[in-house]
Amino acid sequence: MLRDDLHVLTGSYALDALTESEREDFERHLQHCASCEAEVRGLRETAARLAMAKAVRPPARMERRVLAATYRTRQLPPLPGLDARRARAARWVAGQSAAWRAAGARVLTPRLVAAVAAACVAVAVGLGITQAATQHQLESTRASGAAITRVITAPDARIQTARTTVGGTVTVVVSARQRAAVVTAAGMPPLPSARVYQVWVMSSAGARSAGARSVGLLARTGQDLLASAVVAGDRIGITVEPSGGTSRPTTTPVLALPLST
Amino acid sequence: MLALVARGDHRAFELVYGELAGPVYGVVRQVLRDPAQSEEVAQEVLLEVWRTASRFDPARGSAAVWALTIAHRRAVDRVRSENACSRREQKVAPAMAPDDVAEVVEGALDRQRVHRCLGGLTDLQRESIKLAYYGGYSYPEVAQLLGVALGTVKTRIRDGLIRMRDCMGVAW
Repeated sequence: MLRDDLHVLTGSYALDALTESEREDFERHLQHCASCEAEVRGLRETAARLAMAKAVRPPARMERRVLAATYRTRQLPPLPGLDARRARAARWVAGQSAAWRAAGARVLTPRLVAAVAAACVAVAVGLGITQAATQHQLESTRASGAAITRVITAPDARIQTARTTVGGTVTVVVSARQRAAVVTAAGMPPLPSARVYQVWVMSSAGARSAGARSVGLLARTGQDLLASAVVAGDRIGITVEPSGGTSRPTTTPVLALPLST
Repeated sequence: MLALVARGDHRAFELVYGELAGPVYGVVRQVLRDPAQSEEVAQEVLLEVWRTASRFDPARGSAAVWALTIAHRRAVDRVRSENACSRREQKVAPAMAPDDVAEVVEGALDRQRVHRCLGGLTDLQRESIKLAYYGGYSYPEVAQLLGVALGTVKTRIRDGLIRMRDCMGVAW
C-alpha cells in the first residue's frame, strides 16, 4: 500500500474501524511515521471525547466485582523502556516540589517524593487525594464530571497544596494545556449554616467565582470543583461568604494560592 | 495516579475506577448495546487497567484516553469475533437509533460540545464517524451501509475527526 493511502487511515485506525490485516499494516507503518503517530494521538483523544459524551453510571455491582477481582489479579511488571521515562518524570516532580517549597506552598515532603520515584505528575495527584481521602472525598470525586477527569488525568497535571489561615488544606490540580484547575479541600473548619466557603479565580483583572456547576461554593469540605480558563499567575482564593455566595469577595481570603502552571 | 495503581495501591485504583467506570461502561454499551455483555466487557477493561497500569505511559496521553482506547477496542473485538450475524441484522444502523441509555452521568457540557461539533460536520462525515465509533463497524461496513466508495469513507472519517479535534480544542 502506498504511503498516502496509509496516512489517510489515521482516522479509521483511531476509531478501531480498520480490518485486522490493515490494522497490522498500519501499526507497522506507525513505527516509522512520526507525523502519523502524532495525528493518531490527537484523533484518539478526540475519540475519547466521543466516549466521554456517552458516559453512563454502571450498575453498582460492577464496582464490587472489579474491586474484588483486583485482589485476585496479579499486575504486570513495567516494561524496561518506561523506567527511563518515569525516572525523568520523577526528577521533574522533585524539581517542581522544590519550586513549590520556594513559593511557600506546602508540598510533598522529600521522603514522599523519593517514594514516588516511579511517578508521573499524576502520581502527585494521587498522593494529594488518596492519602487524605475520606470516604466522602472518594464519593464526591466519583460524582465529578468528565472535565474534572480530564484535568486530573492530564499528562501535564501539576499539584499544589496549601494550608488555609483557618486550618485545613486545599489541593489544586492544574493543567496548563487545558487551562483548568480542580480544587479540593480537606479538614477546613465547618461554618455556621448561613456561611459558605467560596472559591475564586483571582487575577489582575479582579476575582471571579470559580466553577461552572455550583456557583463556586465549597459548601462542605472535600467537594471538588473545576475552575476553567485559568492562566499562570492567577491565584486560587477562598473566602467566607454568606450562603448563596457573592459576586465579589467580601472578606479577607483564607487562602490565595498562586498557580504555577 | 496510575503509578500508584501499578504499585498495587487499591485505594488509588478505587479513585481511578470512580473516574473511568462511567465513560468505559458507556462507550462499551454504546457499541455492544446488550447491558449484560457490556457489563462483562467493561469489567474486563477496568481490570485490565489494574493489571497493566505499569505499562501506561503518561508521555503518550492521559490515563482516560488510554483506558477508553482499550475499552473501545475490546468492544469492537467482541463485535467482530462473534460471528453474530443474527444479532447485527436485527439492528440496522444502531448508532443512528435514538439513545436508549438512561441514567446519564454528569458531563452535560461535554456532551453538548460533542453534539455541537458533530453538528458542524457534513452529513457523510458525521454518519461515517458515528457508525464507525458508536456502531463499532469497520470502514468497509460503513461504506456498504452508506452506499459510498471505500476511499470516500476513509477520507471522510479522517477529515471529520480532524474537524472534531479542532472544534473541541483537543491539544495534540
